[in-house]
Amino acid sequence: MSEPATLPLVSSLLDAALPPSGLAWLDTARRENSQAFAAGGLPDTRVEAWKYTALRALGQRRFAKGDAAAQSRAVDASTLALPGIDGARLVFVNGVFRDDLSALESLPEGLTLQPLSQALQGDPEPLRFALSRHYRGAGDAFARINAANASDGVVLRVAAHAKIAVPVQLVFVGAAAETDLAWHGRNVVILGEGSSLSLVEQHAAASEQAHLATLVSDIELGERASLRHVVLQNAAVGASLIRRSSLRLQAHAQATMHVLELGGALVRHDLQVELAGNGSRLDTRGIFMPRSRQHIDTQLAIRHQALHTVSSSHWRGVANDRARGVFRGAILVAPGADGSDASLSNKNLLLSPGAEIDTKPELEIYADEVKAAHGATVGQLDPHSLFYLQSRGIPQAEARALLTAAFCRAVLDDLPDQPLREHLAALVLAHLPNT
Amino acid sequence: MTSEPTQITAAMGGNAEVVEALGRRYEAGFVTDIETDYLPPGLSEDIVRQLSALKQEPEWMTEWRLEAYRHWLTMPTPDWAKLKLTPIDYQSISYYAAPKQGPKSLADVDPKLLVTYEKLGVPLHERARLAGVAVDAVFDSVSVGTTFRKELAEAGVIFCSMSEAIREHPERVRQYLGSVVPTGDNYFAALNSAVFSDGSFVFIPKGVRCPMELSTYFRINAINTGQFERTLIVCEDDAYVSYLEGCTAPMRDENQLHAAVVELVALEGAQIKYSTVQNWYPGDENGVGGIYNFVTKRGDCRGDDSKISWTQVETGSAITWKYPSVVLRGDRSVGEFYSVALTHHHQQADTGTKMIHIGKGTKSKIVSKGISAGRSSNSYRGLVKVEKGAEGARNYTQCDSLLIGKQCGAHTFPYMEVKNPSAIIEHEATTSKISDDQMFYCRSRGIAEEDAVSMIVDGFCKQVFRELPMEFAVEAKKLLEVSLEGAVG
Repeated sequence: MSEPATLPLVSSLLDAALPPSGLAWLDTARRENSQAFAAGGLPDTRVEAWKYTALRALGQRRFAKGDAAAQSRAVDASTLALPGIDGARLVFVNGVFRDDLSALESLPEGLTLQPLSQALQGDPEPLRFALSRHYRGAGDAFARINAANASDGVVLRVAAHAKIAVPVQLVFVGAAAETDLAWHGRNVVILGEGSSLSLVEQHAAASEQAHLATLVSDIELGERASLRHVVLQNAAVGASLIRRSSLRLQAHAQATMHVLELGGALVRHDLQVELAGNGSRLDTRGIFMPRSRQHIDTQLAIRHQALHTVSSSHWRGVANDRARGVFRGAILVAPGADGSDASLSNKNLLLSPGAEIDTKPELEIYADEVKAAHGATVGQLDPHSLFYLQSRGIPQAEARALLTAAFCRAVLDDLPDQPLREHLAALVLAHLPNT
Repeated sequence: MTSEPTQITAAMGGNAEVVEALGRRYEAGFVTDIETDYLPPGLSEDIVRQLSALKQEPEWMTEWRLEAYRHWLTMPTPDWAKLKLTPIDYQSISYYAAPKQGPKSLADVDPKLLVTYEKLGVPLHERARLAGVAVDAVFDSVSVGTTFRKELAEAGVIFCSMSEAIREHPERVRQYLGSVVPTGDNYFAALNSAVFSDGSFVFIPKGVRCPMELSTYFRINAINTGQFERTLIVCEDDAYVSYLEGCTAPMRDENQLHAAVVELVALEGAQIKYSTVQNWYPGDENGVGGIYNFVTKRGDCRGDDSKISWTQVETGSAITWKYPSVVLRGDRSVGEFYSVALTHHHQQADTGTKMIHIGKGTKSKIVSKGISAGRSSNSYRGLVKVEKGAEGARNYTQCDSLLIGKQCGAHTFPYMEVKNPSAIIEHEATTSKISDDQMFYCRSRGIAEEDAVSMIVDGFCKQVFRELPMEFAVEAKKLLEVSLEGAVG
């Protein structure tokens, strides 16, 4: 941290600021976040939030800024299709909105969906609060550079009481380019009172290029709104992908998230949820499966701020080869958040001697009418179960894969969308060794 | 006085004349210091040297302290714990003080303290002792000390003060001191290494099972060992010792900061059981006063099949900050940590353990029970680390928190780092309050509210109390009752 500005990554990301947006408040926010990034540099492992994710190697790399030729990059639209998902679709290639790959015609009533670049040219005022944020934490480097440099992303609004049953698909694709690129996406999702939405967020690769992407999403749920959010992260094996999602739930709102982390070389996801309204509820389910030399870090932080809020989280990790899986699941129950019920479990399998799992469930409780529990385990497949399968004539490798897949699948069971569930389960199985 | 720094530099360079001159000066200093019996407040290389000279330590010890002091200077004050504390002015502390003048008689002692002793059933002569009243005729500690000493000496056990050990058994001290907690380990350990005033030294030779439970309480020279205690326990092959620290009755103490270091070394097949009941002055209901208890405790299972077990009951101190740890180096070695931490009023406790699995087939077990009442804050912070070579390592951790009252906090921060695929690591934690059902049940059976709470708390802590030596367990139970007074209703 002594001379942060000298890191190649920092200087390359600061290279050439965005052109003026025409909005004074936006330009100010961009400039100030850029200055904060320049001053703070990258967090090292002494910063608690980055204790298990070292940025030394990434810090030595340089990336070109944005992709001027993004519109012409070859992406096969059929590879982006997911079973049973055929509603509205918004596609970004190397961080740039691609009209030709998206499906924005005949949006259901009550749904507004457009790229941020267009939304800013229309009525930017509703975005002002989200886009003029300042990130002050010691570990906020990527949020700062994102705020400074993001020029595109998703703006999604659901009108009050509108029910959007057909899933909306958001796709972020990394495509081949002349050089490794850095791009930044900024998403704003707002669910009006009593509305509901099903959302599928997808990170895909059209090439194996080692780009760097940062993605910051703000998701607001109004009173009694309901969100089903599925994240399928299957970025290129060389890619660095750094995401921060902030959810805020008003009274009696409900959010369910299913996250599957498969791709990327260095993947970091900060998932911050604020249960701000009485009776709001969050369910998160996730699987991270790093292999070869992948590093996948999930930082889940849930704040119970109001009465009778509920959160339930089940995460599974499977680390293979020389990969590393990192998980932090922090639950905070604020003073006065009586009747909170929080549970979190993180179970992990270590499949190889070179792999590592670092897990840290946390409870911070400031109220007394509370039920809170967490559990974490790290271990390997049950030898008795393996023996049982082998004694029934199933070869060892296959038995291992079966048991591992079953271990992961357990957290997908409550995903109501059956074709999608089967698809995710198949991806999990395909990601395992020896099959 | 102005020429002092140059003299010291020269002495370090080995100039014999200057060393001699320095020695003379300290001799003189020694005499006057005996009269006043304290060093002026402040901390510098000079103070460290004077302290070492006062204690008639050999030169290697002085150098060892100085090295720690120089390292300490380079370290930043740690700020990562969830603690609210006023910064400590290290220059205002006197680093060597003889026993302070206590109250003249029991009549001068805070009546609240006396009521507590009454409840705990502490014998009269001990009450005086605990309250810091100068006792001579009442309690013949000298004779008690000598009887024990004879028996221990017959078994070949060395049990003496650290100062005595440095003088009488320098080779053993030199071999083990700082080998578990190096001088530069952390901020407070470095400070302790530089200025520790006294402590206990225990050495159990090969194959010996220590004939009795050793306790600082019964050792005369343990009185007022001061705020920077240093304890070293070494168990040779197949030896066994059970060591008790502290006592259940609250200790009156004027010192603000306690930064102790405890090192345990277990060689092949050795077993060390270390039990603590910490009940320093916690401050009053408004959080005024009280002890800062910043302790580094670490055990090293150096030999195969060795075992180290920590049991602690923490009810005192305004701020407790300690993580008794075990380094499981030997194959099949075992580490255990059983803890009850109770906080009330404005107390803050940040405590837990570290289990570092290095050897094959190592096992560790952690049971931590936190009880928060009033406006207190109680955190468990722990690390279970499995290194690459720790084939078949096994850990089980259970952390439960009980909340009593609306304004307290209970936190759990467990870290698990696993690098061996054959390891099995399990962690479970719960936080809850005493349920209304439980209370209703007790109340409907005619049990008073306070009794019901203490019954439930006792049940909550049972797993840990079971690990305490018998007489400690009985007292610990009473101690929780006393500490929880006024927490309900």
